[in-house]
Amino acid sequence: MSQAEVEATTKDEFVIKEKAPLRPVQSPTDLCLGCGTCSAGCPMTGVEGFDPRRIVRMVLTGLDRELIDSKLPWLCTMCAKCEYACPMGINIVNLVRTARSMVERSRVPGQIHKGVEMALKTGNNLGLPTEDFVFIVEDVAEEMAEEEGFSDFRIQLDKKGAGLLHTLHNKLVNTQNEDLVHWWKIFHLAGEDFTIPRENWEGVNWGLFSGDNEAMKTLVGRIVEHMDRLEIKNLMYPE
Amino acid sequence: MQTWFPDFFDRHGALTVFDLLKDYLESGRIKVDRSKNPQKAAYHDPCNYGRKSLELFGKGYFDEPRWIMDQCMSNWVDLFPCRGNQYCCGGGGGTLLTPYKQERIHYSRKKFEQIRRAGVEMIVVPCHSCHGQLRAMAKEFDMPDLEVKYLWQVVAEALVIET
Ligand code: SF4
Ligand code: SF4
Repeated sequence: MSQAEVEATTKDEFVIKEKAPLRPVQSPTDLCLGCGTCSAGCPMTGVEGFDPRRIVRMVLTGLDRELIDSKLPWLCTMCAKCEYACPMGINIVNLVRTARSMVERSRVPGQIHKGVEMALKTGNNLGLPTEDFVFIVEDVAEEMAEEEGFSDFRIQLDKKGAGLLHTLHNKLVNTQNEDLVHWWKIFHLAGEDFTIPRENWEGVNWGLFSGDNEAMKTLVGRIVEHMDRLEIKNLMYPE
Repeated sequence: MQTWFPDFFDRHGALTVFDLLKDYLESGRIKVDRSKNPQKAAYHDPCNYGRKSLELFGKGYFDEPRWIMDQCMSNWVDLFPCRGNQYCCGGGGGTLLTPYKQERIHYSRKKFEQIRRAGVEMIVVPCHSCHGQLRAMAKEFDMPDLEVKYLWQVVAEALVIET
């Protein structure tokens, strides 16, 4: 082992354990009984060494760096089935999320971090320009207005003083246009005075997945900004 | 929101998809006809609205979606296990965005065992990740005809349009 490798494997010992926020039950990780309830209930147990009890043991024995450098944190869906069943209320999901947050950003697998960067830069995870976005939603809205019962339906982007702010999941704007209309139909018949932001319309916050609190805060801040700027009464929590 | 922008709630309200749908239905702002959705369906609890919300905010949305299902589906059942012990779809936590597809398929086998046991032709979800994952997995698990719909989609499809 080279000097650098030795340092890399030692310098993060016990960091995850200290850093991971406790669940509301305030149960420190050291209380783990090693019972394996978590592992037995987790659908991913056994895949490439994945096992929630093992993750807890790694954290408890200071194998932080090994965990951070492995694929394990990214195989977990953070579904919390394990901790829901855990007799000691161990905060397994927070251990995983903290380990993810300690992975160097360029090594975050797949689209997660790229989406976060794109959203920070362009206002949506796709990097779709505003004109294209406006074209797509207006086009879908016009088509919907051709259906019986919806002829007077119109989309108003950035409407000041609206009753409800609706953000959109990027995939509906991208490949699943047909699914944009369900809420619009409901809003229309309910007489809801809703609006969608013209920019920064992204309703998905992938910072949650990559463990990036700063990015999350910026993205949530944009929604707050819309609400204040447009003086909107209620926010519809992103789906 | 509560942590970063605590004063937000002095100026605005915030509603979940369940609050909205329930309010529209209860107040009569929309009317639905459940006979428009006769398919045998099951409801899937997303982790974030169910047990994780219960833990973080002291409230899990288990009953609300089921009440909404009652209003707009004429033949639906629960999977087992359900509510707090529901199996994750296998696409949560951003795993849908990772390249680990084989692992995701393996994860979802539990979900599809549940769906098979329930003998349903449709699964209803109020979450985009679950929707994407279940749709993709239906093909992998030899159930290409399994319909995967959003909760608000089945509401929209049951809407009564008064002309
Ligand atoms: S279920 Fe809880 S106590 Fe049991 S091994 Fe897992 S983390 Fe430890
Ligand atoms: S949170 Fe992760 S470790 Fe726990 S049951 Fe879900 S996938 Fe398994």
